[in-house]
Amino acid sequence: MSESTTKVGVYICQCGINIGAVVDCEAVKNHAATLPNVAVARQYQFMCSEPGQEMIKKDIREFGLNRVVVASCSPRMHEPTFQAVLKDAGINPYFFEMANIREHCSWVTRDHVEATEKAKRLVQGAVARVFWQEPLESREVPVTPSALVVGGGIAGIQAALNIADAGYHVYLVESDASIGGRMAQLDKTFPTLDCSACILTPKMVLVGRHPNITLLSYSEVIGVSGYVGNFKVKVKKKPRYVELGKCTGCDECTKVCPVEVPSEFDMGLKNRKAIYRPFAQAIPSAFVIDKKKSPCKITCPAHIHVQGYIALIAQGKINEALDLIREQIPLASVCGRVCTHPCEDECKRREVDEPIAIAALKRFAADNADPDRPIKMGALTKKQKVAVVGSGPAGLSCAYDLFRNGYRVTVYEAMPMAGGMLAVGIPEYRLPKGILNREIDAVKKLGVEIRLNTKIEDAGALLKEGYRAVFMAVGAHKGNGMEIPGKDLKGAYDAIDFLRETNLGRRVAIGKKVAVIGGGNSAIDAARVAVREGAESVQVFYRRQRQDMTAMTAEIEAAEAEGVNLNFLTTPARLLEKNRKVGGMECVRMELKELDASGRGTPYPVKDSEYITEIDTVIFAIGQTPDLSLITNVKGITTTRQGIVVVDPATLETGIAGIFAGGDMSWGGGTVIEAIAAGKRAAVSIDRFLQGIDLKEGREEDPLRARDIQVTIPAGTKEAPRPPMPELKVADRCSNYREIRLGFTREMAIAEAERCLSCAVCSECRQCEVACQPKCINHDMKEEILELDIGSILLATGHDFFHAPSLPQYNYGRFPNIIESMEFERLCSGSGPTGGKVTLANGKTPESVAIIHCVGSRDSHSNSYCSRLCCMHAMKQAHLVKERTGAQVYELYIDIRASGKGYEEFYEKVQREGVLFIRGRGAEVVGQGGQLVVKAEETGLGRPITLPVDMVILSTGMIARKNSAGVASIFHITRDQHGFFMEAHPKLKPFHTNTDGIFLAGTCQAPRDIPDTVAHASAAAAEVLSLLARGKVAIEPLTAQVNPERCSGCRVCIALCPYQAISLGGTENQKTVEVNEVLCKGCGVCVAACPAGAITTRHFTDRQILAQIEGVLAR
Amino acid sequence: MNYSYMPGCSLLSTAKGYDSSARAVVKALGSELVELEDWSCCGANAIESVSYLLSVSLPARNLALAEATGSDLVTSCSSCFLNLFKVNHRLKREPGLKTKLDEILGAAGLHYSGNIRVRHLLDVIANDIGIEAVAGRVEKKLTGLKVVPYYGCQTVRPYGEYDGPYLPTSMDRLIEAVGADVFPYLWKTRCCGGVLMTTETEIGVKLVSELLAAAQGADCIVTVCPMCQMNLDAYQGKISAKLGMKMNMPVLFLTQLLGLAFGLPSEVLLLDQNVVPMNPQLRQLQNA
Repeated sequence: MSESTTKVGVYICQCGINIGAVVDCEAVKNHAATLPNVAVARQYQFMCSEPGQEMIKKDIREFGLNRVVVASCSPRMHEPTFQAVLKDAGINPYFFEMANIREHCSWVTRDHVEATEKAKRLVQGAVARVFWQEPLESREVPVTPSALVVGGGIAGIQAALNIADAGYHVYLVESDASIGGRMAQLDKTFPTLDCSACILTPKMVLVGRHPNITLLSYSEVIGVSGYVGNFKVKVKKKPRYVELGKCTGCDECTKVCPVEVPSEFDMGLKNRKAIYRPFAQAIPSAFVIDKKKSPCKITCPAHIHVQGYIALIAQGKINEALDLIREQIPLASVCGRVCTHPCEDECKRREVDEPIAIAALKRFAADNADPDRPIKMGALTKKQKVAVVGSGPAGLSCAYDLFRNGYRVTVYEAMPMAGGMLAVGIPEYRLPKGILNREIDAVKKLGVEIRLNTKIEDAGALLKEGYRAVFMAVGAHKGNGMEIPGKDLKGAYDAIDFLRETNLGRRVAIGKKVAVIGGGNSAIDAARVAVREGAESVQVFYRRQRQDMTAMTAEIEAAEAEGVNLNFLTTPARLLEKNRKVGGMECVRMELKELDASGRGTPYPVKDSEYITEIDTVIFAIGQTPDLSLITNVKGITTTRQGIVVVDPATLETGIAGIFAGGDMSWGGGTVIEAIAAGKRAAVSIDRFLQGIDLKEGREEDPLRARDIQVTIPAGTKEAPRPPMPELKVADRCSNYREIRLGFTREMAIAEAERCLSCAVCSECRQCEVACQPKCINHDMKEEILELDIGSILLATGHDFFHAPSLPQYNYGRFPNIIESMEFERLCSGSGPTGGKVTLANGKTPESVAIIHCVGSRDSHSNSYCSRLCCMHAMKQAHLVKERTGAQVYELYIDIRASGKGYEEFYEKVQREGVLFIRGRGAEVVGQGGQLVVKAEETGLGRPITLPVDMVILSTGMIARKNSAGVASIFHITRDQHGFFMEAHPKLKPFHTNTDGIFLAGTCQAPRDIPDTVAHASAAAAEVLSLLARGKVAIEPLTAQVNPERCSGCRVCIALCPYQAISLGGTENQKTVEVNEVLCKGCGVCVAACPAGAITTRHFTDRQILAQIEGVLAR
Repeated sequence: MNYSYMPGCSLLSTAKGYDSSARAVVKALGSELVELEDWSCCGANAIESVSYLLSVSLPARNLALAEATGSDLVTSCSSCFLNLFKVNHRLKREPGLKTKLDEILGAAGLHYSGNIRVRHLLDVIANDIGIEAVAGRVEKKLTGLKVVPYYGCQTVRPYGEYDGPYLPTSMDRLIEAVGADVFPYLWKTRCCGGVLMTTETEIGVKLVSELLAAAQGADCIVTVCPMCQMNLDAYQGKISAKLGMKMNMPVLFLTQLLGLAFGLPSEVLLLDQNVVPMNPQLRQLQNA
């Protein structure tokens, strides 16, 4: 475009008095006429009117104009109007520029001379700029013919029905288990006093049945990408654990569920069970299980359903408790006695008083259930045989799981009895052989073959004998011994050997003065056995300090009670001989220096600190290693320097396919429960191996740690002590092997189980499964992620209510009978906690009630805005109180807002019913002498008043939902200063957002009542339908362009783009970036950031902008 | 740590016990209240209705003097606290005020830049010195003594600088720190009537009798404002008549209570200067 051919038309608008009264439009027009390239300049009262627009069209024809400048209001108002004019006249609409001489000039400048000068300059800038403008074409993209409605309250329901009835498909996503929202919780609605549920539920049923609506309940939107007409939405369907199609709503499950938590629907005034239906008319009408993560189950290495059996014990269902435990492990009695119970360390009850005695409860269930109860298992369906080497806890658990899964399992045990360390390590007084054998016998009775006295010399040979897989769990039965002079003298033993011999019933010759070296459980076991074997003095020598000992604290204390002496920071240097036996021990004192990998100080001998102790027996308990003879000839299985087998920690595979290993032989000494967990892990691996399934997939451990779980301690939880375990008196036990811990009684067990806080809510006790007739409960359901293609989105996510404790002067929660308005709705509801009777906390009927308006509204200390509907619902509640109780009702208000249809009439009706309206803000509510006293000012009388009443209802205002910040960011929309979603224009576009294709319905945008919500929702639905019906949408061409010759591929722009519209492209040799013009919104961040100046935005080129600046500044 | 300290006029006369016990308690805790030289009246309650500028300049004078010493200004009187604090608050929000204040103070050869903080003694003891330090200094635990924490209104309202405006807890924690029991009390910040006790005695008596009636069952009330202390302490005769019961509730300053627990001498605590005499428990604690 050259200077000579550019013809600009300039139009100065007076906009009535808006511009005309401040700016001298005639002078501006005259000045404009003198500017370069201006062919015609005019001024007119209203350029946006038809005559105004016609004027422009006429001039285009007559003068051959090819550029137009209008100086008037903001382009946000009328840019589209004038662009349409150019289009109609056959000129590209982007040859148009607006100068804002109203919002930027006449409305903000007082001095008329200044304003006129400024207007002239703005016009100069526009004229200079328009010269450089280029013709641009909008592009059209198709619109996917489906809509997403987020939120199933009345707004979402209304909008979904409108869109679905028009013939388009709607996905309605609701995060609760049922649609209905807040309206389902209301009793009667103003002003008609319609029952809320009666007018809502027909619409809910329609939604549930509508062929065009896919209802995704108990689901949340977790990600949105794309652009108007072409959104990609990710929805997470939370596991309901109940199959929707099958549940008949019969309600048998709630009768047996042992866990109760406050009901959200009833505002905490009533409890519900862990399995529940939100309310009777719920859509979907199925039940749902509220199941969170329980700290005890996560911490248990075997992930036993701890909370489940505790809940069953609390109900007295001991048999069912044992069934639940035995679903996962065969050694309930054993674990109940010897487990180190890491679960108790994470039990959240310790935040109140002490953790639950989980292990003791497990023991109680195992000891007291019906001994002949059968163990559930499947049929021997699988043909493959599996060999397990070692019948300790790892081997037994693996065999147990595999066998119940249908495999044929043979367990090989080298010793004359089964049980591994359980039989030959742990002494009788901790774990009676009778108890152990009873549980092993139960496994044998199932059909698992255990071959005793059969040592496997070569694990590889097993594979050749027809076993398709082998699990090695031989434990670590070789004591490490100590390399000191004299170790081979008579009277020097290793603890592992010592314990094994005594456990097998064979006497070991020990003297009178016994020394045990070491600080672990084996050392303590050995010491206490030595006491029972008749030693006069037993001393433990440990090279570190008491707090560093790995033995269980309870065991250490028991040992000391039995007379065992503990010596710390000392270690033997050599054994002294006397008559060819151990006659004494030379020890050296130790000091601790730098911390080692276990977090304990490293011991170093103190120089010249040797001393002699007179002893005649030494038992070394300083570690154990496995006997690895069974793999010496198996090539491919690696071992560490410490002599343990290397395995993949997730799958327990060794280097040989089909051979797995776990337990002490793969980590050199751990606990019983860790061994059991290893056995179970191996069973899963072997099952997958034999089925040819990938061993690792889907087995990642949940990264959640118990200490990251936050638990709300229920209000009113009283401190209660943990019962001490009844024990044999010390005097009764040192000379025998009678079991020391006697176990809980039934009363103690049930009381202890009742202390459980039900952290996970659903305890997985599985009683609901038993009670469910249609068999629709599935506790293993997982969450599902859906990806949807959506054309337009409508947000109807609703609101929260202001919570009164933030205003301490109302003393909510400090005195009874001060309630919030939603709590009153539930009290009044026939389906609520009192069946519709308005009562005080003590059950009596109130004789006087005060309703305080504007709690959390119109208040600089909380929210400054008016919540719009509370006056009406407060008056409705006054009416209901009067109707149900005949009480004296006071309404304490600032102003009465009753502006809707029928609202003023309702106000008058309520006054006629005798409700007393007091104009004065309720200032304070206190309890005095068993009553509530409200202080307020009676502004009419001009003096303060005190009102003694029985009940106070606080009318709390609507606030934005707690999660609104997160939701806004998922949908890329903004929020206003109060947290509600931001509309595009408060007067003309209250249901649009600034993001194309996303609309708002209902209280998520601002407080409103039901009729306004329904209207707002249908309006937003109309916008959605407009998009979907058009089938295509124009995208503005104001997007970024890359000049590939300048682009160096530095990628700075990619990270900065807020719409992820830039990606790396180009060739192999020269990478350059590419802009997705449909995602690009033309914000210009990439243009500003590009160090090479390789990106420009159309219609905002440097040349255009600089011309505008020069134009404004020119003299 | 040393603080610049303005006792206020009441503490030189009717509330001498507050001043002397405050200085001694702070010293016993390892800090010192250094009296601001040439401090003057803060304006109390009445001035603002006479002249707004005077009501700002009077306290601002003290702030100018304190600023010159380089330290924040601490006061034990709640009225002084509020008046001084308001100067800073208003300077930030009223555009023309600084110019006027500069002129007025300038005429007296003073200048205030608005750079120091105003602290109430309760805030300094509870939050700067700290509860643990107070507990550590206790020599006789006031076990079994039931104490009402009465804050009055001016120290926590309207600005709520260092504690809640309706149910604050700083004094409660200090009472517990010296081993005593906090008597459950809803009227912690309810108005005592202020100057109305002298100008409209009937109103003052009505307000205070509610406060005292709710305190029945406690052994004493502690407060941190000389006006509150006077109103609760000096009119119990009239209040007894109004309530129809014999009222004998000792009203102490917080620092007198702390001093008792620290074992400070009675010449410093001046408990006998209070109108209602000490009851047997308090006397016993003093003599122990």
